[in-house]
Formats: sequence, structure tokens, C-alpha cells
Amino acid sequence: MGGKGSGGYREKASQNNPMNISATGGNGQSGKNYTGFGYSKNKEINEQKGGARMQGPVAPPAMPDIQAAPTSVAPTGTPSRLMSMSSLEELEPTGLPTSDGVDVGRGRGSEALPNNFNPDFRPMENAELIAKYLPDLINAARVENAPDSYKRLVNKLKGML
Amino acid sequence: MQWQENTFFDHLDKFGNSLGAENFGIAFCLSTVNWESTQDRDAFIKSLTGIDAANDSTSNFNPGSVVK
Repeated sequence: MGGKGSGGYREKASQNNPMNISATGGNGQSGKNYTGFGYSKNKEINEQKGGARMQGPVAPPAMPDIQAAPTSVAPTGTPSRLMSMSSLEELEPTGLPTSDGVDVGRGRGSEALPNNFNPDFRPMENAELIAKYLPDLINAARVENAPDSYKRLVNKLKGML
Repeated sequence: MQWQENTFFDHLDKFGNSLGAENFGIAFCLSTVNWESTQDRDAFIKSLTGIDAANDSTSNFNPGSVVK
């Protein structure tokens, strides 16, 4: 018995063991009905077996093709991702534009913000930073061809101390 | 030594004037970013503030002020 040449169904063979799980996510092995569970559970489990097959491999979401996007080309010759940033005027799922609540773009301006909303300017931290770097900023303002806008900024910073 | 574009001070000029001196801390941090190009930086500023920093030629600089 069970020697060479024997065949047929063998209950304890691995392919007939319902507890074996395919590592590659196959659809199961024998197709036989499961038995040995508690009373009234066998039918339930066997019904579940046919109901939920392994999902096939899911393709990763397509990445935006930066070559195809309407980008400009930076002086370095590489396409710029920032140039293809979405507009502030795009609609959010709420139906309001992204710029709603700020004073630029579509939508309501800052008047839509709560009355007690104050922008966090962090004046103490700013003052520390300005005091620390102002000498260097002033030196840079004395560089040849320094733009007026920069000098104006440095003067403002001096006035904030 | 000459003023050069796409440097920290150039970035600080654009961010500082776009965001305002009261936001100097944010402008300072954004200026330390290694921007790929000035176009990239200006596009970022425009998306943030709506101000076209690249064409912002308005100047109310007071030549009689301290820094010349």
C-alpha cells in the first residue's frame, strides 16, 4: 500500500490540505470543500471561499509626464516642475477656488476669514533674525548693481528693530 | 563684486518684497532654498502671492535713506 505505482486521492497529501496557502496568491489548490470547522460553520466558510478571490496585481498610479506637461525650460535645459504647478484658481471639492479667503485670485478675499483671525507674523523671532543678519544684509546692499527693491527691503528691516 | 541673480540675496530681495518685511522669517527661509532657476522661484512666488515678482519693477526706494 502506498508504494510505487500507487495513486489516486490521498487525503493527507499537501495539495489536498486546505490550510496550505499559495505564496504567490493563487486561487487555491484543490477546490475541495473545507471540513472540520464548528457546527454550521463549514457551509459558511465554503461559501466565503468562492466569494473573495485574490485581487490581481494593481498597476501603480500613473505619474505625470513632465515632458508632456506644459512646462517651460529652465536655463539649465531641464524642464521645470514648478512652472506646471496647479493654479490657485482651481476648484476644491467644496466648489470654492483654492484662493478662497486670500486677497488674490478668485473667490472671497480675506474678509471671509473669521474676525479674530490674525496672521502670525512672529515679531519677536523676526526681530531676532533681523538683528542677527542685518550687518550682512546691509553689506550686500552696498554691492554694485544691488537692486533698489533690495535696498528698500533692508531699510524696512532696519526700521523694524 | 557685483549683484548676481539666483543667489541668496537675490532670493531674499524677491521673497522679502513679495511677502513683506513683517514676514522676514519666512522670506529668509525660502531664500535659503537652492532654487533651480529664477523662473522657478518667481513662479513659486506668483502661485503664493499672485505677485509677478519677475516683472515687479515698481520702486519707491528713497535715495536719501541710510543704505545707498
